[in-house]
Amino acid sequence: MSDEPTTPQEVWALIERADELVKYAQNRDPATAYAQARSTLERAAEAARTVAGAEKLEEQAARRLADIAKLESA
Amino acid sequence: MRAEREDHDGRLPPNQRLTRGWPILHASPIPKFKEEIWSFCVWGEVETEVEWTWPEFRSLPKFRNTSDFHCVTGWSKFDVAWEGVSFKEIASRVTPKPSATHVIVHAEYGYTANLPLAAIDDTDVLFAWAHDGFDLEPEHGGPLRLVVPKLYAWKSAKWVRGLHFLNHDERGYWEERGYHNRADPFREERYSWQE
Repeated sequence: MSDEPTTPQEVWALIERADELVKYAQNRDPATAYAQARSTLERAAEAARTVAGAEKLEEQAARRLADIAKLESA
Repeated sequence: MRAEREDHDGRLPPNQRLTRGWPILHASPIPKFKEEIWSFCVWGEVETEVEWTWPEFRSLPKFRNTSDFHCVTGWSKFDVAWEGVSFKEIASRVTPKPSATHVIVHAEYGYTANLPLAAIDDTDVLFAWAHDGFDLEPEHGGPLRLVVPKLYAWKSAKWVRGLHFLNHDERGYWEERGYHNRADPFREERYSWQE
Protein backbone atom coordinates (compact mmCIF):
# COMPACT_ATOMS: atom_id res chain seq x y z
CA MET A 1 0.00 0.00 0.00
CA SER A 2 1.29 3.45 -0.90
CA ASP A 3 1.46 6.15 1.75
CA GLU A 4 1.56 8.89 -0.86
CA PRO A 5 -1.07 11.62 -0.47
CA THR A 6 -4.34 11.10 -2.24
CA THR A 7 -6.20 14.25 -1.15
CA PRO A 8 -5.31 17.96 -1.04
CA GLN A 9 -5.49 17.76 2.77
CA GLU A 10 -2.83 15.08 2.79
CA VAL A 11 -0.65 17.13 0.44
CA TRP A 12 -1.02 20.13 2.76
CA ALA A 13 -0.17 17.93 5.75
CA LEU A 14 3.18 17.16 4.09
CA ILE A 15 3.80 20.88 3.52
CA GLU A 16 2.90 21.62 7.13
CA ARG A 17 5.28 18.88 8.27
CA ALA A 18 8.03 20.54 6.23
CA ASP A 19 7.19 23.89 7.84
CA GLU A 20 7.65 22.35 11.28
CA LEU A 21 10.97 20.80 10.28
CA VAL A 22 12.18 24.25 9.21
CA LYS A 23 10.73 26.07 12.22
CA TYR A 24 12.41 23.71 14.69
CA ALA A 25 15.63 23.31 12.66
CA GLN A 26 17.66 25.53 14.98
CA ASN A 27 17.00 23.14 17.88
CA ARG A 28 18.85 20.33 16.09
CA ASP A 29 21.20 19.97 13.12
CA PRO A 30 19.79 22.56 10.69
CA ALA A 31 21.35 20.94 7.62
CA THR A 32 19.61 17.64 8.38
CA ALA A 33 16.32 19.37 9.12
CA TYR A 34 16.48 21.36 5.89
CA ALA A 35 17.28 18.22 3.90
CA GLN A 36 14.30 16.42 5.46
CA ALA A 37 12.08 19.41 4.76
CA ARG A 38 13.28 19.56 1.15
CA SER A 39 12.56 15.87 0.64
CA THR A 40 9.11 16.26 2.20
CA LEU A 41 8.33 19.23 -0.03
CA GLU A 42 9.47 17.40 -3.14
CA ARG A 43 7.02 14.61 -2.26
CA ALA A 44 4.31 17.22 -1.73
CA ALA A 45 5.05 18.92 -5.06
CA GLU A 46 4.98 15.61 -6.90
CA ALA A 47 1.68 14.69 -5.28
CA ALA A 48 0.19 18.15 -5.95
CA ARG A 49 0.71 17.56 -9.68
CA THR A 50 -1.40 14.41 -9.63
CA VAL A 51 -3.98 14.85 -6.84
CA ALA A 52 -7.16 16.50 -8.07
CA GLY A 53 -7.74 19.89 -6.42
CA ALA A 54 -4.18 20.16 -5.09
CA GLU A 55 -2.70 22.05 -8.06
CA LYS A 56 -2.17 25.30 -6.12
CA LEU A 57 -0.21 23.46 -3.47
CA GLU A 58 2.57 22.83 -5.97
CA GLU A 59 3.25 26.58 -5.86
CA GLN A 60 3.27 26.48 -2.04
CA ALA A 61 5.80 23.66 -2.08
CA ALA A 62 7.95 25.47 -4.67
CA ARG A 63 7.91 28.68 -2.61
CA ARG A 64 9.14 26.80 0.44
CA LEU A 65 11.85 24.99 -1.53
CA ALA A 66 13.10 28.44 -2.59
CA ASP A 67 12.97 29.56 1.06
CA ILE A 68 15.09 26.59 2.11
CA ALA A 69 17.62 27.29 -0.64
CA LYS A 70 17.97 30.85 0.73
CA LEU A 71 18.39 29.55 4.29
CA GLU A 72 21.04 27.09 3.19
CA SER A 73 23.03 29.76 1.37
CA ALA A 74 22.77 32.32 4.21
CA MET B 1 -16.72 19.62 34.76
CA ARG B 2 -14.31 17.66 32.58
CA ALA B 3 -14.82 19.81 29.48
CA GLU B 4 -14.19 22.96 31.48
CA ARG B 5 -10.95 21.53 32.84
CA GLU B 6 -9.75 20.52 29.38
CA ASP B 7 -10.21 23.96 27.88
CA HIS B 8 -9.30 25.71 31.15
CA ASP B 9 -12.72 27.33 31.35
CA GLY B 10 -12.51 28.68 27.84
CA ARG B 11 -9.01 30.07 28.15
CA LEU B 12 -7.37 27.44 25.95
CA PRO B 13 -8.30 27.78 22.25
CA PRO B 14 -9.65 24.72 20.42
CA ASN B 15 -7.15 21.96 19.58
CA GLN B 16 -4.36 23.59 21.59
CA ARG B 17 -2.43 21.88 24.39
CA LEU B 18 -0.95 23.67 27.35
CA THR B 19 2.83 23.67 27.78
CA ARG B 20 4.84 24.80 30.77
CA GLY B 21 8.01 25.13 28.71
CA TRP B 22 8.47 27.46 25.81
CA PRO B 23 9.23 25.68 22.56
CA ILE B 24 11.55 27.51 20.20
CA LEU B 25 10.65 27.75 16.54
CA HIS B 26 11.28 30.18 13.74
CA ALA B 27 11.81 30.10 10.01
CA SER B 28 15.33 31.52 9.93
CA PRO B 29 18.60 31.39 11.85
CA ILE B 30 18.89 33.57 14.95
CA PRO B 31 20.25 36.98 13.92
CA LYS B 32 23.14 38.56 15.80
CA PHE B 33 22.16 41.76 17.59
CA LYS B 34 24.52 44.63 16.79
CA GLU B 35 23.40 47.59 18.82
CA GLU B 36 25.45 50.09 16.81
CA ILE B 37 23.53 49.38 13.61
CA TRP B 38 20.14 48.37 15.05
CA SER B 39 17.25 50.71 14.37
CA PHE B 40 13.48 50.56 14.46
CA CYS B 41 11.68 52.47 11.72
CA VAL B 42 8.04 53.47 11.43
CA TRP B 43 6.86 54.77 8.08
CA GLY B 44 3.98 54.94 5.62
CA GLU B 45 0.55 56.26 6.51
CA VAL B 46 1.68 58.27 9.55
CA GLU B 47 2.02 61.98 10.25
CA THR B 48 5.58 61.57 11.60
CA GLU B 49 7.96 58.90 10.37
CA VAL B 50 10.60 57.89 12.91
CA GLU B 51 13.79 55.88 13.19
CA TRP B 52 14.87 54.98 16.71
CA THR B 53 18.25 53.64 17.78
CA TRP B 54 18.32 50.93 20.45
CA PRO B 55 19.00 53.42 23.32
CA GLU B 56 16.26 55.71 22.02
CA PHE B 57 13.80 52.84 21.80
CA ARG B 58 14.69 51.63 25.29
CA SER B 59 14.10 55.13 26.66
CA LEU B 60 10.44 55.09 25.58
CA PRO B 61 7.94 54.64 28.42
CA LYS B 62 7.85 51.08 29.71
CA PHE B 63 4.73 48.97 29.47
CA ARG B 64 4.12 45.63 31.19
CA ASN B 65 1.43 43.12 30.36
CA THR B 66 0.80 39.47 31.14
CA SER B 67 -0.93 37.43 28.48
CA ASP B 68 -1.32 33.96 26.98
CA PHE B 69 0.59 32.80 23.94
CA HIS B 70 -0.85 30.46 21.29
CA CYS B 71 1.26 28.82 18.58
CA VAL B 72 -0.42 27.51 15.43
CA THR B 73 1.60 24.29 15.76
CA GLY B 74 -0.70 23.44 18.67
CA TRP B 75 0.79 24.56 21.97
CA SER B 76 -0.21 27.39 24.26
CA LYS B 77 1.55 28.97 27.20
CA PHE B 78 -0.36 30.85 29.87
CA ASP B 79 0.71 33.94 31.78
CA VAL B 80 3.77 35.24 29.96
CA ALA B 81 4.81 38.51 31.62
CA TRP B 82 6.08 40.88 28.95
CA GLU B 83 7.86 44.20 29.23
CA GLY B 84 8.53 46.69 26.45
CA VAL B 85 6.77 49.53 24.69
CA SER B 86 3.07 49.43 23.95
CA PHE B 87 1.80 49.77 20.41
CA LYS B 88 -0.35 52.64 21.64
CA GLU B 89 2.80 54.48 22.78
CA ILE B 90 4.35 54.02 19.33
CA ALA B 91 1.14 55.15 17.65
CA SER B 92 0.95 58.26 19.84
CA ARG B 93 4.40 59.29 18.61
CA VAL B 94 3.85 58.70 14.89
CA THR B 95 0.11 59.52 14.66
CA PRO B 96 -1.42 57.18 12.07
CA LYS B 97 -3.24 59.03 9.31
CA PRO B 98 -7.00 58.46 8.95
CA SER B 99 -6.15 56.52 5.78
CA ALA B 100 -4.16 53.89 7.74
CA THR B 101 -6.04 50.60 7.88
CA HIS B 102 -3.32 47.93 8.20
CA VAL B 103 0.28 47.47 9.23
CA ILE B 104 3.08 45.20 8.15
CA VAL B 105 5.66 44.44 10.77
CA HIS B 106 9.13 43.94 9.31
CA ALA B 107 11.70 41.70 10.94
CA GLU B 108 15.18 40.36 10.28
CA TYR B 109 15.75 38.26 7.14
CA GLY B 110 12.80 39.92 5.41
CA TYR B 111 10.17 38.24 7.60
CA THR B 112 6.87 40.11 7.62
CA ALA B 113 3.48 39.76 9.28
CA ASN B 114 0.38 41.76 8.42
CA LEU B 115 -2.26 42.99 10.81
CA PRO B 116 -5.35 45.14 10.56
CA LEU B 117 -4.85 48.35 12.51
CA ALA B 118 -7.81 47.32 14.67
CA ALA B 119 -5.94 44.16 15.74
CA ILE B 120 -2.63 45.78 16.61
CA ASP B 121 -4.14 48.89 18.19
CA ASP B 122 -5.14 46.99 21.31
CA THR B 123 -4.34 47.56 24.96
CA ASP B 124 -2.38 44.28 25.29
CA VAL B 125 -0.10 44.69 22.24
CA LEU B 126 3.53 45.62 22.78
CA PHE B 127 7.03 45.49 21.39
CA ALA B 128 8.76 43.40 24.04
CA TRP B 129 12.39 43.33 25.14
CA ALA B 130 11.86 41.27 28.30
CA HIS B 131 9.69 38.45 29.60
CA ASP B 132 9.22 37.20 33.13
CA GLY B 133 11.78 39.72 34.37
CA PHE B 134 14.63 38.78 32.03
CA ASP B 135 15.90 40.24 28.78
CA LEU B 136 14.30 38.46 25.87
CA GLU B 137 16.66 35.71 24.74
CA PRO B 138 17.68 35.79 21.06
CA GLU B 139 15.92 32.48 20.43
CA HIS B 140 12.67 33.99 21.66
CA GLY B 141 13.04 37.11 19.50
CA GLY B 142 15.46 39.26 21.45
CA PRO B 143 16.31 42.03 21.42
CA LEU B 144 12.77 42.96 20.35
CA ARG B 145 9.64 41.13 19.30
CA LEU B 146 6.06 42.06 18.72
CA VAL B 147 3.45 40.50 21.03
CA VAL B 148 -0.16 40.29 19.81
CA PRO B 149 -1.75 38.00 22.41
CA LYS B 150 -5.16 37.61 20.77
CA LEU B 151 -3.73 36.09 17.56
CA TYR B 152 -1.67 33.01 16.73
CA ALA B 153 1.96 33.68 17.51
CA TRP B 154 3.27 33.91 13.96
CA LYS B 155 1.76 37.39 14.00
CA SER B 156 4.00 38.17 17.01
CA ALA B 157 7.10 38.53 14.88
CA LYS B 158 10.53 37.97 16.40
CA TRP B 159 13.50 40.31 15.81
CA VAL B 160 11.36 43.20 14.62
CA ARG B 161 12.97 46.17 12.92
CA GLY B 162 10.10 48.25 11.59
CA LEU B 163 6.46 48.96 11.22
CA HIS B 164 4.86 50.04 7.95
CA PHE B 165 1.41 51.64 8.11
CA LEU B 166 -0.65 50.96 4.99
CA ASN B 167 -3.95 52.11 3.51
CA HIS B 168 -4.64 48.54 2.35
CA ASP B 169 -3.88 44.96 3.35
CA GLU B 170 -0.84 43.01 2.14
CA ARG B 171 -0.20 39.44 3.16
CA GLY B 172 2.91 38.70 5.20
CA TYR B 173 5.38 35.81 5.08
CA TRP B 174 3.21 32.98 6.44
CA GLU B 175 0.01 34.51 5.14
CA GLU B 176 1.44 34.09 1.62
CA ARG B 177 2.33 30.52 2.45
CA GLY B 178 -1.13 29.18 3.13
CA TYR B 179 -1.79 30.47 6.62
CA HIS B 180 -4.80 32.52 7.64
CA ASN B 181 -4.84 36.26 7.15
CA ARG B 182 -6.49 36.98 10.52
CA ALA B 183 -5.23 34.14 12.77
CA ASP B 184 -7.71 34.23 15.66
CA PRO B 185 -6.93 31.11 17.74
CA PHE B 186 -10.39 30.97 19.31
CA ARG B 187 -11.92 30.76 15.81
CA GLU B 188 -9.15 28.36 14.89
CA GLU B 189 -8.18 30.50 11.89
CA ARG B 190 -5.11 28.51 10.92
CA TYR B 191 -5.22 28.21 7.12
CA SER B 192 -5.93 30.49 4.19
CA TRP B 193 -8.59 28.18 2.71
CA GLN B 194 -10.75 28.94 5.75
CA GLU B 195 -10.98 32.60 4.69
